[in-house]
Amino acid sequence: MLLGGPISTPPPSLRLRATSNPQNAAAQPSQASFQRQPPIYSITDEDLQSKGFLLRRTPEGLNLDHLNSVFVAVGFPRRDTGKIEVALRHTDAMLWVEYEKTRRPVAFARATGDGVFNAIIWDVVVDPTFQSLGLGKAVMERLIEDLRRKGICNIALYSEPRVLGFYRPLGFVSDPDGIRGMVFVRKQRNKK
Amino acid sequence: MILIPTSSSSSSYSCCSLPQASFSSNSYPSNQSLFLSKSAYPIRHGSRKLKTLRLRANFWESIRSGFVKNNNNTTQLVEPPSTTEEDEDTEPLLPVEFTLVERTLQDGFIEEIIFSSGGEIDVYDLQTLCDKVGWPRRPLTKLAAALKNSYMVATLHSVLKPSSEGDNEQQQQQQNKKLIGMARATSDHAFNATIWDVLVDPEYQGQGLGKALVEKLVRALLQRDIGNISLFADSQVVDFYQNLGFEADPEGIKGMFWYPK
Repeated sequence: MLLGGPISTPPPSLRLRATSNPQNAAAQPSQASFQRQPPIYSITDEDLQSKGFLLRRTPEGLNLDHLNSVFVAVGFPRRDTGKIEVALRHTDAMLWVEYEKTRRPVAFARATGDGVFNAIIWDVVVDPTFQSLGLGKAVMERLIEDLRRKGICNIALYSEPRVLGFYRPLGFVSDPDGIRGMVFVRKQRNKK
Repeated sequence: MILIPTSSSSSSYSCCSLPQASFSSNSYPSNQSLFLSKSAYPIRHGSRKLKTLRLRANFWESIRSGFVKNNNNTTQLVEPPSTTEEDEDTEPLLPVEFTLVERTLQDGFIEEIIFSSGGEIDVYDLQTLCDKVGWPRRPLTKLAAALKNSYMVATLHSVLKPSSEGDNEQQQQQQNKKLIGMARATSDHAFNATIWDVLVDPEYQGQGLGKALVEKLVRALLQRDIGNISLFADSQVVDFYQNLGFEADPEGIKGMFWYPK
């Protein structure tokens, strides 16, 4: 699956892998059984590492107080770290960037879901000091790839209006087919 | 009856019931009772107090305002306060399983519609139900895994029993129990829950069952202290969920999908 690039047919050797449905052999990002090509990211792992950014996929080594600071820095509420711990334990996939020099998280994203059909991405944050370096994109591209590799093809998220432009180039479409994201805001007024 | 099947094989959100005003219908006997408790949790019928109509602190609002509760120590909790304590006064704890509707049918049988959030569901029954509402088939193993990985699975079952006097154990076992509705929610067990796959058997649509299903599921989630309950609604059912207390694009926040089909 190519991110941010043209869709091309994979070389014959790669077609033998992965796909259970031969009809889906032509690489299309929206097919459930996609080609396991080596993923192409906007910035490579090596590139990130050379700049001192380490990619992490588990909560190990993640200081939740530091994570909270990043949340607060971008305007999210500070949360109870015990609850964050619970949330991370029940998270389908997560990705964070550790800045080698300070050993602190500077970018983060996680996804919840049912593990087979649907996933929702939450809490996408980049420390303001480290924004515009491509870290947000790096985290998102890899998180999507990790979810796709699990076979999850319905990946959704809720985007604040000012960052719609961040998600669109990554492949996200708002309100496709008129589907609307909705949030529960009050108990119903009419009691039965 | 309005069938709103999902158009893609991925689990895009869909609901199959247009709500009607209430359960009271001409065909029901006058001695029907709602919310009969079948479990250990008692429900106070007559003493149900008026719910305090407080706007639950909106998750998105809390993001924007970042309001602070304590200012003494450094670790400040800014989450919206849990409503569990308040709910104890205004709302009884929802039992896992209870009867929503009980009615006598024309042939003399008694039908009970039972709501359960216990998640006991036969995946074959579910597939039959999905077929009935016209959803494309999904592999059974994946269906089972999705259910297992869901934080809460709410079901509606119809139980038929003969209307003879003695409701003894043997007759209970001879009951016909049929899955007629389901809704499930995924969650991180702490902050967010998302509702998926709301469906009601077409034969039972138009009776307010879909509404009850979602309403009870939401209530069960709130009572577990999940602060943010979200879903994705097909355009035809946005009104349905609005009537249940959901708001589309709150504060301009948009639902987005990755390369939807």
